[in-house]
Parts: sequence; structure tokens; C-alpha cells
Amino acid sequence: MVAISAASLSKSFRAKVRPAGLRASLKSLARPDYRVVEAVREVSFEVEVGEVVAFLGPNGAGKSTTIKMLTGILRPSSGTASVLGLDPCRQRVALARSIGAVFGQRSQLWFHLTPADGFRLLGAVYEVEPKALGRKIPELVERFGIGAYMDVPLRKLSLGERIRCEIAASLIHEPKVLFLDEPTIGLDLVVKREVRALLAELAKRDGATVFITSHDVGDIERVCKRAIIIHHGGVVVDESMKELRHRSLSRKYIGVKYASPVDLDLGELKPVKRTPTAASYVVDTREHRLEEVLRALVGRGELEDLTVEDEDLEDIIARIYEARP
Amino acid sequence: MSAPRLKLRKYAVAAIAAVQERLAYRGSFLGEGLTYALWVFVFSRIWRAAYAGRAELAGYGLSQMVWYFIAAELPSFAAGRPFWSLSDDMKSGQVAYLVSRPYDFVAYNFSQGAGQALASGLAYLAEGILLGLAFAGPLPVSSVLQAAAALASLALAASIQYLLQLAIAMTAFWAEENSAFYWIFSKLALVLGTLMPLEMLSETAQRVTWWTPFPALAYVPARILAAWPGAPAAARLLGFQLAWLALSFLACEAIYAAARSRFAVNGG
Repeated sequence: MVAISAASLSKSFRAKVRPAGLRASLKSLARPDYRVVEAVREVSFEVEVGEVVAFLGPNGAGKSTTIKMLTGILRPSSGTASVLGLDPCRQRVALARSIGAVFGQRSQLWFHLTPADGFRLLGAVYEVEPKALGRKIPELVERFGIGAYMDVPLRKLSLGERIRCEIAASLIHEPKVLFLDEPTIGLDLVVKREVRALLAELAKRDGATVFITSHDVGDIERVCKRAIIIHHGGVVVDESMKELRHRSLSRKYIGVKYASPVDLDLGELKPVKRTPTAASYVVDTREHRLEEVLRALVGRGELEDLTVEDEDLEDIIARIYEARP
Repeated sequence: MSAPRLKLRKYAVAAIAAVQERLAYRGSFLGEGLTYALWVFVFSRIWRAAYAGRAELAGYGLSQMVWYFIAAELPSFAAGRPFWSLSDDMKSGQVAYLVSRPYDFVAYNFSQGAGQALASGLAYLAEGILLGLAFAGPLPVSSVLQAAAALASLALAASIQYLLQLAIAMTAFWAEENSAFYWIFSKLALVLGTLMPLEMLSETAQRVTWWTPFPALAYVPARILAAWPGAPAAARLLGFQLAWLALSFLACEAIYAAARSRFAVNGG
């Protein structure tokens, strides 16, 4: 069953253009120039109920614009979107009751109130029965470990504490689909790890459909089963994490260290880094047989160390971006 | 709880949350309270000078005139200047994040504004009464009916003030720079009923003013408090305010509906 679908979804904005200089500014005052910016171009995909999907792309790729069209915040310029069978734009209020959204850079809780007050307000906004809300809040507090700061005004919390509260708050009405837009942006490594663990647990335990936009590959590796990669407003990759990982099999990173200086050139295969006794190679296994490369390296001299590693997911995605400048 | 009650409850909870938020800032109460006191003090002195040798001006005695000013200023101080924050939200795109919730945008904002105005209004009311007793003399309220009408009128005035500011703020969807509209609105509100009663304007100016919402913002509550016009006239004045409350609300809904397609999110 399809939870989210986008068919040829596009969004363009009219942006005012103002060239530099006083003359241009005066001209712009009388006759402003506009440029049409295509933020999202013909994006199509489907997400099944219960899937946890990563929506990846570099800054400005159109990720956030897409998520905003799917949550009914922005109206598409063309194409159609459907979430839980509803049109996000036309049936915004009905849809809002069944989805949750966390925008990493924006707060849904009130800045000057405590999370406890914010949770009660959101519960009322989503028309949760007061009794049910009374049971739900302690459950979320325990699950997200936020008991210590429920009575502290949001503005006094650290970013990590705030994000925990924001994610917990987005679950107050038990949404069927959860949209997370850059949920770990600005967090330090430790807090990022905590938030990712929470998201992974959330997807596993609740079976909710989760749609995450991020440009942080770490978020995706820990939480998602499928990745859609968007670049310059269009989808460039849509495959399972397993398939995405398979791309790494064609590229190996070899590190080698010898007891004494040796000749490190292997014909066509040149080291990407070298010292007299050590070198690193990037081997494309479609061009060079791994076994032959390893045999050649072993035969060069007395080995002290040899490592063979797969390519990082981050590098794979970076290559995908670079391949479509 | 029934579905209609659950639907309405969100607006009540939003208003209560706004009261809580307003109470979080004791410092701002102090600063704004001082401004209100200074404003009342300065104008009580100006009116004292204007009344030199006169028993009344446009039918108001000196004491009534000072009470008039205290009441006329109260709704705008209570409502505050939500235009600036609302307008910033529209320009920055922050407002777009508020629409993905199951509520009526105008009603939800109005509930918050009403909550804030209630918290501020009660504080200003207490301060205004003390200032009036100090600078104008006894409270010119002679019956429970007059007191109730004055309180209702003050609440209506603050509500209309908030809605008109919201409507002007929403022009940000079309005009990049809309502060001039607010500037014109606030200056007209000051001249048409706040600084002086409408009776001091020429007859033509009065006739024109009654076709605008400005008398509902300051003149009506101030007149009811300072120079009780009698129950039938007070009822007509309250009716005038209720009509403008409904009109302002509908205007906000219409502007919001028209603006909905213009939402953009900066950096999105």
C-alpha cells in the first residue's frame, strides 16, 4: 500500500534579481527583474506504508521544497502529490491530523514555554482527547528521556535537548507518516548518534512510514532502508540501501606498508598517496582484477601491513553528485 | 469529549498558552507599564494646560478627558504591536510552517493575540485606574452596567486592533515593504479617537470617521468609560464594535485565503 506518492512534482519560484551597483539598484527600483528558479523538477517516487526512506541531496537540491509540498506547506507549480491518499494542498487540515513533521531549523514548540506546556498545546491542536494525552505524554517523556527538561523553558535547552523534545512532540497524535527535515542539523556527533538511535528505534517499534531529508549520510546509514537522491531538483537515484552499498563493491581502497622502500608504481595503477615505504590505491574492480593487484603488491617487498576497504557511503553519494554537475 | 468541543478547545488552550508566555516576561511588563504611565502623565499635563479657564471642551470636563485618554490608550497597549512579529514571520517564510496544522490560521492567531492582550490588558487596567485616580480624580463609573459595558468595549477594541494589525501584516505577501501601511494605520488610529474624542473633530471629519474602524479602536471604550452615553447609545456603540470585529475577522480570512498560494519558504 502506497503511503506517499509524487508524480512529476515541480516547484518554481519567481526570485527578484538585483545586479550590483547604484545604477542597477535605481533601475531595479523602476523596473525590477525577476528570474524563475526551478527548485524541484518533475520529481516522481512512491513510498510504501512502513518504509523508512532517506531523501538525500546536497544543499539547494530541492529536498526541503519537496517535503514542504508533501506536508501541504507549499503548493506545487505542477504535478501531483498524495500522502495517505490525500492531496496535501487541498486536504491540508485532514492530512495534518495523520502526519507529523519536524523541521530541524524551526521549532513547533513555543520558545518561551516549557516542553510540558508545548506538548499540552500540541495535543489540543491535534484534538487528542485530554485523557489520552495524559497517558501519551509520560510515555513519550520516558521513551525519549526528556523528563529532566520538561519543566524548563525551551529557550534554555541545548539544541540536542530541543530536537529530542521536537521529535517527541511530533508523535503526540500518533501520526501514520513522519516527515523529518534535516533532524540532526547543527548537532554535535554524540547527540547526532543519540537522535539517530531514537529514529531507528521509532521506525522499528512503531512501524510508521518515515521520510527523512538530510545531507548527512550518517543519518541514513543508521535509520533507512531506501534512498532517493535528488540533485538540481530532479531524482538521480532511487534504490535500496543495499543496492546503494553494492556500488561500493566496484571500488576498493587499498593501503600498503613495507619494511623498506620499494617501487610503488603498478603500471597503469598509480598510488593516490605515497611515501617511500607506503601507498594508498583506489582500485576500480571493473578495470583491474583485485587479485592481480594484491599479488603484485605482495611481491614488491617485505609487507608490514595491508588493508582493503570498501568505499564510504558518503563518498559514493558524493560521486553521484559529481557525476551530474 | 465531543468532537466540536475538541475542535474549539485548541483555541482556548492557545489563548491560555499565550497568557503563560506573556507572564514569562516580567521585565517587558515593567518597560511597557512605564511607557503607559509616562504617556498618561504627559497628556494629563497637556489637557490641564488646554483647559485653563475652561470648564469643558466638546462636552468633556478635564477629569473626564484624562479618563478618556487613559481608556483610549489601553486597548492598543494591551494588544501590543503584533504587526512587527507577524509581518516578519510572513517575510521570512516562518508562517509557512504554521499552516501544516489542523486549525484555522486566523482563529488560532487571534486566540494567541487575545490571550496576550488579556494578560497585558488586566495589568494595564489596574495601572490605568491607579493613574486615573492620581491624575484625574474619581473613576467616572456610576453603575455596574457602565462598568460591564466599558470592560466589554475595551476587550472588543483590543480584539479589533489585533485583527487589523494581522490584516496589515498579511500584505507582506504582496508588498515587500509593508511597514508604511502600519505606520499610516497607527497614526490615523492616534488622531481619530485616541488623542482626543471624536467630538473635537469637524462634523465632516466625524461623519467620515464613522465609516472607518478607528472609532471602534479607542473612542467607543473611552466614551463609555469617561462619559456614559446611556444604555441605548452604549448598546449601539458596542454593536458598532461587534460589526467591525466580524468584518475584521472576515477580512483576515479573505486575505489569508488569497495569500495561501503565495507562500514561499526562504532557504527551502
